[in-house]
Amino acid sequence: MTAEAVPTLRPGPRAWVLLILTEGKLVARDTAGLVIPLGLPMLIMVMNGLGSDRAPVPEFGGLPPLDAYVVPLTIAMVVALVGVVNMPSFLAAYRKTGVLRRLSVTPAHPAMVLVAQVVVSFVQSVSGVILALVVARLAFDVTAPRSALAAVGVFLLIAAAMYSVGMLVAAISPTVNSSVAIGLVVFFAFFALGGGFGGRENLPDWLATAGAYLPFGAGMDALGACWTGTGPHGGQIVALTVTAVLAGVASARLFRWS
Amino acid sequence: MSGTSPVIEVDELCKSYGGTVAVDEVSFAVARGEIFGMIGPNGAGKTTTVECVEGIRKPDAGRISVLGLHPLRDRARLRQVLGVQLQHGMLPDRLRVGEALTLYRSFYRDGVEPERLLAELGLTASRNTAFADLSGGQAQRLSIALALVGKPRIAVLDELTTGLDPQARRDTWELVEQVRESGVTVLLITHFMEEAERLCDRVAIIDRGRLAALDTPDGLIARAGVQQRVRFRATGPFDRARLAGLAEVSGVTTQRGEAVVTGTGDLAHAVNAELVRQGVVATEIRLDRATLDDAFLAVTGRRPAPDGERE
Repeated sequence: MTAEAVPTLRPGPRAWVLLILTEGKLVARDTAGLVIPLGLPMLIMVMNGLGSDRAPVPEFGGLPPLDAYVVPLTIAMVVALVGVVNMPSFLAAYRKTGVLRRLSVTPAHPAMVLVAQVVVSFVQSVSGVILALVVARLAFDVTAPRSALAAVGVFLLIAAAMYSVGMLVAAISPTVNSSVAIGLVVFFAFFALGGGFGGRENLPDWLATAGAYLPFGAGMDALGACWTGTGPHGGQIVALTVTAVLAGVASARLFRWS
Repeated sequence: MSGTSPVIEVDELCKSYGGTVAVDEVSFAVARGEIFGMIGPNGAGKTTTVECVEGIRKPDAGRISVLGLHPLRDRARLRQVLGVQLQHGMLPDRLRVGEALTLYRSFYRDGVEPERLLAELGLTASRNTAFADLSGGQAQRLSIALALVGKPRIAVLDELTTGLDPQARRDTWELVEQVRESGVTVLLITHFMEEAERLCDRVAIIDRGRLAALDTPDGLIARAGVQQRVRFRATGPFDRARLAGLAEVSGVTTQRGEAVVTGTGDLAHAVNAELVRQGVVATEIRLDRATLDDAFLAVTGRRPAPDGERE
């Protein structure tokens, strides 16, 4: 028997747009899930803004700590929470409930839904950051980063690193609960070691060093350097890039579709 | 095979998991436009066989051709023409019925209007219902709709009426018949014998990974040599010896005042004709017809799984 005339087409741009819009709707319907990316950063800005006297600090290049420390910390935190905790829980649920398996018997590769979820998560992160910055700007006169272009670049790099780690969390989590648990543990490890709960100087040297090169610490410091205008240093950029690549490759190898 | 070339050919398919043989040299061919059933006990290898046909599982050995395509090498092309309804394939909880169909429609080059499919499947009123809020029957109808939205040439339906109430089950059967009438070949996996008997042109019985029998439902029942029973009450005495002497009859007994005749072939007709010859009027003639259940038991040595259980 000879092969019949069967089209080879993979889904086109329309399918991609629909898939991304659909993922967006699903994420928006998960109202509780929006508190962290949209609500938390604004809350942090407001609480810290109200407590700030805007006194310049020399080691922050003459900027108040709100600008050079709190804002970068908030940005890095939003991306980390969305990328490492929220996104993997969606993907783990998709695997657990057979959504990925169902897609695998259509012309759409299940990887499409992963990409769509990353896009939607990224939009959430960006929205959360923009909201927080608008509040910071209007209510507390937070300045724009002195190296604005570098700040955008660093933001993208942090997102790449965090989303790769999130993909890895999704890849190794057998259930939705375990993905949230693993995601939170990873997030808090990054956050605590990176200086999220206060300066790293209180940690043992080797832990402080590790924290400075893990994605949260490296990202926050690099963003802070964009605000003060000194610019990120090479080690931070390399650390973020290496994390993105390693976690990305590992998740691609380990990801199970069903 | 009605002259046309088969649309699915499976040749000596083998698949093991670890040391356990799931499918052992299974071969069959599905003709264009037929409803081909696969029945078998839980864990018999039905689902594994079909997953190999769908290209989501790699066989250890054997050859599979679906519309001339190789399920693994020609995955992308096969996906455009093979509609699949999975036993466990699900949608995100918050996805709505209409959104799901529109999304799935966009994956296929050719397809059915989602609105039309909604109407045909009685889902129009549920268009804005989230997947998690659907009843079992509605979710099942949606899964059928998703299997058909790409206008497939072959539809694979896995345990499609499990969990449905009898009315919903009958409605679904009618739907499958409509699908076939529209020219789609249907591969149906089921453990409901009644479903296979009612819908399938041919049925493969899979047992312990092997193809135990393959025939029309009637053929399977006849081949199993299952005894039939005719029960009747007679208005007067009749000659039991002459009745027992008929070629079709293997035994005559009396239970609670009822004559019970066991035998094979066209038993009811033979008994009736003999009674007429004897001038006896029989009332309440009932034929306990052998069913696919009996054929299944004869082939596998086991009763089919009761309603509601599945792999």
